[in-house]
Amino acid sequence: MDPENMQLITRMLEQDSELREKIKDQVTEFDKKTRTMSGLLNKIHSTPSAELPPLLDSVRPILESCGETTAAIAALVPPNQFWRWKEMWSNSLRSAVFAATLMEYLQKGTLMTLGQVSDVLGIKPEWSDRFVLTVEDYLHGLITLVNELSRLAVNSVTLGNFEEPLRISVFVKDLFAGFAMLNLKNDTLRRRYDSLKYDIKKIEEVVYDVSLRKLAPSVRDKKDAS
Amino acid sequence: MSVTETKSLSSRDAIVSMFETFRLELDEHNDRRERLIKSSRDVTNLSKKNDHAKTLKAASLAKERLQDIQKLFAGFKGELVRDNFWRYQRNVSPGLQEYIEALSFTHYLETGKLITYTEVQQSLCDNEAIPFFPLSLEDYLLGLSDLTGELMRYAISAISQRGGRSKASEVCSFVRNCKADFESMTPYFRELRKKQNVTSQSLEKIEDAAYALAVRSSEYDLPPEILDDLVQRAIINTTSGDGKRKRDREDEFEDDYNNS
Repeated sequence: MDPENMQLITRMLEQDSELREKIKDQVTEFDKKTRTMSGLLNKIHSTPSAELPPLLDSVRPILESCGETTAAIAALVPPNQFWRWKEMWSNSLRSAVFAATLMEYLQKGTLMTLGQVSDVLGIKPEWSDRFVLTVEDYLHGLITLVNELSRLAVNSVTLGNFEEPLRISVFVKDLFAGFAMLNLKNDTLRRRYDSLKYDIKKIEEVVYDVSLRKLAPSVRDKKDAS
Repeated sequence: MSVTETKSLSSRDAIVSMFETFRLELDEHNDRRERLIKSSRDVTNLSKKNDHAKTLKAASLAKERLQDIQKLFAGFKGELVRDNFWRYQRNVSPGLQEYIEALSFTHYLETGKLITYTEVQQSLCDNEAIPFFPLSLEDYLLGLSDLTGELMRYAISAISQRGGRSKASEVCSFVRNCKADFESMTPYFRELRKKQNVTSQSLEKIEDAAYALAVRSSEYDLPPEILDDLVQRAIINTTSGDGKRKRDREDEFEDDYNNS
């Protein structure tokens, strides 16, 4: 290999690995935040609904601080290289989507849109070639949300909240109706989507148990009311 | 904080209509990916044909085929705008690496040198020198790594032809240099580490052929034609599998020769 070519390659490799290290540091920060949030949010399974607001309030500052991390990553990524590096933080970002949408659901019973999650995470439209929340990452976060809600349906009954499973059931089915519209290819998203059916089944079983014992208004009553 | 959508979704209709936009986006992505996979296969097929270009004369034909491939890559340009190259790199890489292998082989036949990163990138540019897409170091190095296997076949077939023996020894030292150059880059690319093993095997095959040649030609004072025959026999052995069997067959060959 001629020396000039060798130098060029070595320089490029060094630059790339330097950048990789810098991004990795930020991703580690991001990861710490999302893990702290997941840890705190895990308490929802043992927290009566009346005590949820203070729990959510304790998570909110961490969620908002994610904006610093996304800004730091966006500043590191060279123009037009979003897709080159995004794998590095995909998992953290998906966890952040999960945390944000779970909090919104617990607070309002509604689904946070992709745009809203982007805003909460401080992602700016002008970063579009360096840092964006992709549809795939958002959907992965939502699937994690459904996984978690199926657990919550079970645990809320244990805590004596018999209506929560009904709310969860309606919400998750609405979400599933959305997912069912997508033509997913044979990838991880597809496999995780397939797992949603088991979550729905589990939630339905809880709803069945609760309705059978007339512990909560039946699903039909619920629908008429809403 | 700019809030584009202030209300989260509370009805199935609202959720379904958001997913409608996702469907369009995902479909577009999947279609593009499939188009690129198909184009990448076309590139691979064209590049493979170049493998038969063993002589300089065939190399000029190969040149035309390379241009056809470059035209295919020009078609990628519209698909790979902005940083889409990185998004679809995995789908494009197989063809791209085959192309780089074919290009570097032709380049070697013409110049005796390893094609540079800049030269490969230049071959993937339009008339105004604007790249169709950025060339990744990984594709460049992995493409070159495949070249060594091609050169091994080239050297082995050249060795048995008149005047091919000095060519084989050139190729041998060239491949040896390639292996050394690539070694320093293996920490960066896992795939390259795997291919380094293949390169080592290719190099060993050329070395064994050169060894057989050196041993026979020093041992016997033979006319070149007979030497060529011997070399051909030896090569069939060196390229036919593992070391042990190879040595056994060489002994056999030795016996044949002594009996005759």
